[in-house]
Amino acid sequence: MLEVTGLTAGYHGGTVLHGLDLSVPAGTVHAVVGHNGAGKTTLVHSVAGLLRPGSGTVRLGGRDVTGLPAHRIARAGIGLVPQGRRVFAGLTVAEHLRLSHRPPPSGGASRPSVWTPARVLELLPRLGERRGHRGASLSGGEQQMLALARALLASPSVLLLDEPTEGLAPALVQQVYDLVTTLAGEGIAVLLVSPSPAQAIRCADRLTVLTSGRAVLRSDGDQARADPTALNAALELAPAKG
Amino acid sequence: MGLLDAHLVPAVDGVAYGLLLFVVASGLSLAFGTAGVLNLSHGMLYAVGAYTGAELSDGTWGGLLLGLAAGTTAACLVGAGLSAASFPLARRGHLAQALLTFGLALIGGDLLIQFFGADDLPVRVPAALDTSVSLLGHRYPAYRLCFIVMAVLLAAFGTWVLVRTRVGAAVRAAADDPQMLAATGYSPRTVHLGVLAAAGALAGAAGVLGAPIIGPGPGTAETVLMLSLVVVVLGGLRSLWATFFAAIGVGEVQTLGVSVAPGLAPYLLFAAMAAVLVLRSRFAEPATGHSTDGPVPDPLGRLVGRVGAGLRRVMRSARPKTRSASPPGRGRLPSGAAWRRAAPLLVLCVALVALPGLLDAYTISLAGSALALGLLAVSVTVLTGYAGLPTLGQTAPFAVGAYTTANLAAAGWTVGPVQILLSALAAAVFSAVTGPAVIRARGTTVLMITLAVGELTSAAVNQLKSVTGGADGLVGFPATQALWGGEDLFEESELYTYALVVAAVAVAATLLVLRSPAGKLLTGARGAEARMRASGHPVWRYLLVAYIGAGALAGVGGSVMVTVQQYLSPADVGFEIAAFALLAAVIGGTTSVVGALFGAGLIVATRDWVAGAWPGHGPLLLGVLFVAAVYLLPRGLAGLRGTSGEEETTTASPGPRDEPPVVSAPSPAPAPSPVGKAGP
Repeated sequence: MLEVTGLTAGYHGGTVLHGLDLSVPAGTVHAVVGHNGAGKTTLVHSVAGLLRPGSGTVRLGGRDVTGLPAHRIARAGIGLVPQGRRVFAGLTVAEHLRLSHRPPPSGGASRPSVWTPARVLELLPRLGERRGHRGASLSGGEQQMLALARALLASPSVLLLDEPTEGLAPALVQQVYDLVTTLAGEGIAVLLVSPSPAQAIRCADRLTVLTSGRAVLRSDGDQARADPTALNAALELAPAKG
Repeated sequence: MGLLDAHLVPAVDGVAYGLLLFVVASGLSLAFGTAGVLNLSHGMLYAVGAYTGAELSDGTWGGLLLGLAAGTTAACLVGAGLSAASFPLARRGHLAQALLTFGLALIGGDLLIQFFGADDLPVRVPAALDTSVSLLGHRYPAYRLCFIVMAVLLAAFGTWVLVRTRVGAAVRAAADDPQMLAATGYSPRTVHLGVLAAAGALAGAAGVLGAPIIGPGPGTAETVLMLSLVVVVLGGLRSLWATFFAAIGVGEVQTLGVSVAPGLAPYLLFAAMAAVLVLRSRFAEPATGHSTDGPVPDPLGRLVGRVGAGLRRVMRSARPKTRSASPPGRGRLPSGAAWRRAAPLLVLCVALVALPGLLDAYTISLAGSALALGLLAVSVTVLTGYAGLPTLGQTAPFAVGAYTTANLAAAGWTVGPVQILLSALAAAVFSAVTGPAVIRARGTTVLMITLAVGELTSAAVNQLKSVTGGADGLVGFPATQALWGGEDLFEESELYTYALVVAAVAVAATLLVLRSPAGKLLTGARGAEARMRASGHPVWRYLLVAYIGAGALAGVGGSVMVTVQQYLSPADVGFEIAAFALLAAVIGGTTSVVGALFGAGLIVATRDWVAGAWPGHGPLLLGVLFVAAVYLLPRGLAGLRGTSGEEETTTASPGPRDEPPVVSAPSPAPAPSPVGKAGP
């Protein structure tokens, strides 16, 4: 369970996030929707420890992880699938799997699901066929799968997905959202960030619309699927067709 | 067969030498590629190993093994210390770390001499190996063959760790994307520490084993560092194999080359290096489309036209600025701020003009040298701060200018302005030739390439005795006249005034260009190169013009130095001077021309005044100055003024990919149709 309270963060003195509150219970998908510059990636980076928040707290299963360095946060159980995938260009798929496989600590809080390379390859069989290929030579979809595998292999209790479908073909987009649903079913708390409400509502249990670093709308997933008007209005979009 | 026969021994020597360089250079390359540290104290790590090994060597196997353990451990610990010292600077970029390691190398070198003495230490190899074996009919030292085997084992072990183990994968991942590696649960600090300690251990082990080949002495660290840098530049940081072949090649040039063509060996290295750099810049770069954006019938003509146009624009934009007080418009500062900005310059001017009345003759001549070094520092500032090309090689055009002036004077051309202009021209031509290899690289690669350019120029200076006087330098050429028909300049205060006038004109011209639209283009190219390209700006051409201009400025500095000193030695244009100039630029704040002048003054003062009070420890003091400057003046002297964030450079901030400039952020009220999403 991820809990963010009063999170303020920014760059070089300019504040981007203004006191954001957010919670993601275990086994649910919380989608954060907003335009470019709304602060989505800033939120993800602040939670993952890549950016030190100005104020506010980030709690993971009740434990305060605010301001910890990224590697400590990763070990505490927050996995990051970053925007643009950022796989290691020079490492093969097999090396990615070996590098990121980190059995959960025995004494720490229990993890919802434990992942081994074999289990990840079962979920993402395409990676198995590409074991010997370097990150740079993979297609966009394969890189996305690899980035997901990399995060999963630490058996995280929270998964941060930053625009996981950016630049993917429609068929792959559906596959990614199916995977997200599967992972939430395993008990992982998923924070999904997307610019597109139409995609986000496919699998979201909760929705937050972010505008200029503030939550302007919170909604239930079912409610938004039934009537996306409020959602689109919050994003100042015309009603979705069809 | 006869040829092979005659050169077999040096050829095998070359393999041993090359393997030694490979082990050392791979550590340098690892530290640079993974931890981002351009470790200019890497040669010192080798020296630590070599001294320890030599000290413990007693002609037995036990001595060798003990030396190997002790030397490796010592260098490993020094490497770990380097990591502790440089990690806090990681966010400040490569330049600060390079300067820090250079300072530490100066300090370490001084301490090693304190500890082990200033003479080369003898090394005793185990008695069993202190013999020669027969190699295709030649007698060959057994130790060297043994060394070849040990070096191969060491290299193979290192490669295995890097390529086959999880630790190696983490190290390579850190080179790719350190932030993502951290988000995968690996501590960046541990990786940094591990890499530098491992690089230290490799260098230390190489030092112990290689001591009979490159022995411990005062020059060891620099020799090893330079050769390793050459190997790394040639190898190109991409693959271990490339580094391996580069190392063997350099080893062969240093041994076989010397035996086959003694006179040409230094140039062989130079030629190989230049060829690789040019080839790489020509072919290995991703296509940018600039080579195809229209015909370029006469590059030089276009260049001259462009510079001319730039200058005309400068003159036009400069004129109204002096007349009208402060028109409120973009790029113009209100008069209060303008005064505050100009204050350091005014203070400097007044102080410089008043100096001759205040100081004794010796100090005045030092001040003249400081002005020459100041011009060099300004040229480094232009490249580092404005063009984004941090350079350790501006001593090359500086040397070209200096030797041009000295030779002109010797040939009877003693009129100051003629010397200045021709020196500037020669330096500009030199920069135009070397420029293409430099301007396509970015960041620390530029440091390495320019370092190579500077070093190889030094090598050429030492070789071309007819022009440069070789290691003896040039002395006894006629004095300069300030103007046509003027008196010869002999008095220190006259020489100082000459230097001051030249420096003032050169700095004023530089400031005018930097504050003109041309300077803005350069700043734009540094800050947002891709965007500049995308807007149709030929960024490389701007950088080349800047590089040539900075070269000319350095040439003027060299000319002034010769006139003031009235002699010229290779040390005046050596690596140390290059590092001083870079430090002066960094002390000044890298984007402050005036700061660079202050920095040069501070360095000359430290080198020649303070060191005079504690003889023999000049390097130590300078090293401390380097380290102190890096830690205490993160934004240089200019930072002390507390100006706006304008000088903020592109430091390693966590990439805000989601955050375009504020203007394009969707503002709720007045923007009815955010980008592309608005329906009918």
